[in-house]
This record gives sequence, C-alpha cells and structure tokens, in this order.
Amino acid sequence: MMYILEKKKVEQVLSAWNKAFDVYAPQKVENYTQFLPFEKTKTVALNHAHNTRYPPKALFFPQSEIMLKYNSRLGRFEESGSKTKPMLIFGVRPCDAMAFSLMDTVFLSEDYVDPYWKAKREDSIVIGFGCSTPPQTCFCTTVGGAPFSHTGLDAILTDLDKAFSVQVLTNKAENLFKNLPPATEDQINEVKKIQRKATESMAPAFQTSGLKQKLDLIFESPYWETIAESCLGCGICTYLCPTCFCFDIVDEIQRKERIRNWDTCMFRIYSQEASGHNPRPSNKERTRQRLMHKYSYWLDHIGEIGCTGCGRCVCYCPVGLDIRAMLQTASEYESEVARA
Amino acid sequence: MTELISKLRTEIEKLFSEDRIDVFIAFKGADSPLRPQPAFYRAGNDLENLEYNSLCQNNLGNYLTRYPNETRIGMVVRGCESRTVNALLVEKQHLRENLTLIGIPCQGIVDIRKLIKRTGEEITAYSEHQNKVTIKYQEKKHTFAKQDVLHDSCLRCLHPNPVNADFLIGEPLPEGDPSLVREKVETFEALSKDKRYEWFSQEAERCIRCYACREACPMCYCTECFVDHNQPRWTESSITSAGTHAWHIIRAFHQAGRCTSCGACERACPVDIKMTYLTDKLNEDILEIYSFEAGMDGETQPPFAAFNMDDKKRFVV
Ligand code: SF4
Ligand code: SF4
Ligand code: SF4
Ligand code: SF4
Repeated sequence: MMYILEKKKVEQVLSAWNKAFDVYAPQKVENYTQFLPFEKTKTVALNHAHNTRYPPKALFFPQSEIMLKYNSRLGRFEESGSKTKPMLIFGVRPCDAMAFSLMDTVFLSEDYVDPYWKAKREDSIVIGFGCSTPPQTCFCTTVGGAPFSHTGLDAILTDLDKAFSVQVLTNKAENLFKNLPPATEDQINEVKKIQRKATESMAPAFQTSGLKQKLDLIFESPYWETIAESCLGCGICTYLCPTCFCFDIVDEIQRKERIRNWDTCMFRIYSQEASGHNPRPSNKERTRQRLMHKYSYWLDHIGEIGCTGCGRCVCYCPVGLDIRAMLQTASEYESEVARA
Repeated sequence: MTELISKLRTEIEKLFSEDRIDVFIAFKGADSPLRPQPAFYRAGNDLENLEYNSLCQNNLGNYLTRYPNETRIGMVVRGCESRTVNALLVEKQHLRENLTLIGIPCQGIVDIRKLIKRTGEEITAYSEHQNKVTIKYQEKKHTFAKQDVLHDSCLRCLHPNPVNADFLIGEPLPEGDPSLVREKVETFEALSKDKRYEWFSQEAERCIRCYACREACPMCYCTECFVDHNQPRWTESSITSAGTHAWHIIRAFHQAGRCTSCGACERACPVDIKMTYLTDKLNEDILEIYSFEAGMDGETQPPFAAFNMDDKKRFVV
C-alpha cells in the first residue's frame, strides 16, 4: 500500500508516535546530520542528499554500552537497565537498513545471540528514506543494494517535493500509516519514475566479479603497502561504517561498570597481544584486514559482501583514500602470485 | 598544470636523476576532487598526477617519522610543515642531512567544512584562481573569496614561509599578524569559567575517539599513546564526558611547545570538533613565558623537554 505523508505533517506524526515508541530521526549537528532522539529538538533533517555522518548502527550497537554494573553494597552484578519502549527509526537510508540486516547475521546468528543487540533490535521499526539523487560517493548498486532497496525496512519514503510517498512493506508499519491518505495513480507513477531514474544514475563503481578470488590471491603482495603508505590508521573509516561491528570490553572500575566500546582493526592495539607480539604489526596488515574482511571474509561467512556502499569511508577519510579505487586497483593488480 | 606544479615537478625529477633522494613526499590528485592525497614518489618518472593546491590539507611532516634515519627523503614543505620538520629534528626523528626540503610560501589551506557549510556535501569539482575558489555543487558553480573559506589556523598563520627549505618555489609572503591569534584565544578567554567549560564540553563530548586528530598530527608519533595504555589505564576509553574531556585536555597539553599550529588535527576530525583553540592558547603561553616558538629552528629544545642544571626552579616534571 502507498500513502502520502505531507512534509509539514512529519513532525506532528513523529510526535504522535513518540508515545508508543522511542522515535529517532536525523537531526542537524554542526555541518552534518546524526540520528538522535526526536524529542531532543522535535525536528527532522531529511533535506540532505548525503547520509547521516554518524551511522545509525549506533542505535542498536551504541559506541559505548554498559553491559553490567557492580553493586558494591550488595556485592553482586546487576543488569544495566532495560528499555521501556520499542525503537522507531525514521529516515534510514537503504544502505544503512541493509547494514542492519548484515549486522543481524553477526549479533543474531545461530550460534550466538547477543542480548544487547537483540533487546533493541527485535521489536524495532525502521522507516527508510530512499535516495532520489544518490551522491557520487555512493555505490550501493555495485554491492547488491539499490537507492530504493527494501532490505531491512518496514516502509520506505520517496521524496515528492512537498510530500513523501510511503510504501508500506510490513504489517508492523501498516498500523502506523493507515490513517494517511492513499497515493493517487499519478503519484504512484511519479514514485516509480523517481526510483528508476535514481537507480539508473548509478554506474558500477568497480568490478565485483572475481574480486574476492583476486583479493585472496594478492594477500601477500606489495599492493597493500601502497595503500598503507598514506593511510593514517585512524578510526574514521571503520567507526563511521554501518557494518563494522568490532568491540572491546573494558571494566571502568571507578564507575563499577563493564562497558563495551567500538574498536577497530585499524588501531595498533586492536591486534596487540599481551606478550607484546602484534600479528598485524603495521598499517599494511591493518588496511588489508579492513578490505579483506568486507570483500572476502564476509563472503566466506555468509556469502554476501560486508559493505553496503554508503560512501562514508570515501567522504571522510582524511587522506582521501577511496575504497572504490582501492578495490578497482586491487582487481587489476598484476602480482607475481597472480601471474604464477 | 599550474606553473608551480610544473616547476615542482622539474625539481623532483632533478633530485631523482641526481640520486639525491630515495622517496619524495608530496600530494597527488586523487579520486575525490576535494581531497588530494599524500603521495610517495620513488622515481622521477611517475609524476603525472603530482598536485598542489589549497585543498592539500594534510601536514606531510606526519610521514617523516615512518622512515628510518638513513632514508633520504625529499619533501614539499609549506610554512607550518617546515616548522614541523624542525620540531621533529629537535626531537631526533630524522637527520637534516638526509632531508631535501622544497619550500612553498603558503597561501593557506581551504577548509572543506567552510565550503560544505556554504553549499552542501555534494561538491563535485574544485578549482582556484588567484584569491578565488570555484566549486561545483549539484551541477551549479559557486565562487568564493579564498579568504572566506580558509582554515582558521591558516587565517591566523604567523609564518607562511618555510623556515628551513633548501630552496623556495614562489616569492616569500609577508609574515602573519599575531593579533589575529590573540583575537581567537581572547574570544575563548573572555568567557566566564562556566561558559568556557560549556564550550569545551560541547566540542569534546561530540568526540568519537577515532584518534584521527592524533594520527594526522606529525607531533603525535608515540608508539603507544597514553589513551592506548592499559596498565595502568590513564583515561576511560568510553565516549563518556570523563573520557572525552581527558583525551582532549591531555592531547593538547602534550603539544605545549611542540605544536606548530598547522591545524591538521582539526581538519581530520570527522565530527567537526574545534581543538586548535587549546593548542593556540598553549603556544601563546609558551611564547610569553619562555619566548619559544616551536620549529623556528632545528636545534632549540622546547621548554618542557629541556633540562638545565642552572634552572631557577629545580623541579623536574
Ligand atoms: S566500507 Fe565504506 S562504503 Fe562500505 S559500508 Fe563501510 S563505510 Fe560504507
Ligand atoms: S579513514 Fe583513511 S586514513 Fe583513516 S584508517 Fe581509514 S583509510 Fe586510513
Ligand atoms: S596539535 Fe594540531 S595544529 Fe598542532 S601540530 Fe598537531 S596537528 Fe598541527
Ligand atoms: S578526530 Fe575528532 S572525533 Fe576523532 S578523536 Fe580527534 S577529536 Fe575525537
């Protein structure tokens, strides 16, 4: 079913939902947008062509999350508190929604269910916002997504200038929108046109066929040194990435809390062992790990690429390293091994 | 290719043909028009993509500490970069005789954030001519006065001319005006204690602990940074206010008398956090109290690193 949500009504609608849900929406911070509780400013920033800078994965997998607390009076561990309402996330780009689904395969796998992710994720509602004018740094179509992909979404909005069309994709979402006016035949056609045009505007960014095999083949090649040479080894490309899920658990003793913080393979201490040995001693091994994880190891694990083409790492790398160019060069790289 | 780039290219070719360097560190045009990349040339024959414009936002001095002393490094240095090189030489991070520095009097680095603020993120082309920059945003061209989009650190730059270059490309520029630095520091200082704390907290608490500021800073080359130390732990590693405050304060303090005000830290930050107001204030104090400016020569120890038997106050930190 397709409904019409007038832009001037958005804030009113979100306010109404806020009674039953914890509503999150993109809001402006400095020069960028970030998902924050709608309550905070009661505004929504959906007028940016670019994605939110800080990834919405943080809503289900906060950068610093208290796992348990120690009650020294009673001498026992306690749970870190629980949420009261389900989460409703409004305005998620399709690449980020696809990333939620990818992260589900990590945190809700057959072997292991992460209670922290599950508690927030299982009854959440994700309302998507399709991309009518995909920025040049995006490449979702290259990695199996699309600017109006439905994966991981309960409904998806299309920008019709003064209003959004809402395509409802699950029963959960139907209840939220059923009181809105339905879209007319003309509007439905318009939406189709916008979606087709957006998808067609995105040319393949690099060659994906055979890429995994090639990456596996050049594992030991000097190619990685050429990337590592300028890479700073910072946390930007992985912390902003919607699919990076590594964390580090620490006991903040003064707070009597056990906390898990995001961690990244780009940091030296990530792979530093207690003995002092570091199996990834330099930027070369770390950069390789980041790319190989997304474009080889994810494929080994679940048969899908672990990158959704959101373009964050492309936009914000302080030395302008572009994952698309790195992969394209890798796929063309003629190494001794490759030729042998 | 601008005249400057072709001159630079000729010089680099010459350094390689005379076998005076093993690597030349400069910038290359890259995938994003907004971000020229640090480039590492190893022979004089691959310089087609050599780039130099006001978007070259990194401090190349950052890469110096990655090479052993024997490596003969050639490098293009602007004012702050040349002072960085000096500051690193003082700290024995390379040998001056193994460095060949091609200096460029610097007209300032454009702050991408200021461009984005005026248009939006989707900037697809960039060009500059004299004191104007032109960008393409959503298929439309926009021209700005360079002065309006320069990075704050460059607006207040005191020494745009390289101080230790082996030779210069371009004419030396007039020195900067110290009252501009004062102005910036004053804006912060003039606030009440509570307001200052509020300002600081607002900036620091957005921090995502990605440490790009540290990694982009040439003077942050410790193998193990205090935040990474875990026995004992000096700070919380979470994004709590305690953790982020400690990170921002201690990072700045470790720069006192060492920071060359290049602003590379601020330009690298993915969440637009201001941080040079802290290091600028510390630099000002160091100048006032010890008459020292980091990197002006390659020999004088920064006050906090120097030990003197005749020190009036025999207190060792
Ligand atoms: S690797 Fe880069 S483009 Fe891919 S999902 Fe992560 S941040 Fe986005
Ligand atoms: S953001 Fe860029 S510099 Fe930082 S670790 Fe990633 S590739 Fe390296
Ligand atoms: S602290 Fe910032 S301004 Fe100072 S030298 Fe380091 S990167 Fe440059
Ligand atoms: S670059 Fe910015 S976000 Fe990253 S650690 Fe530094 S101040 Fe924090």
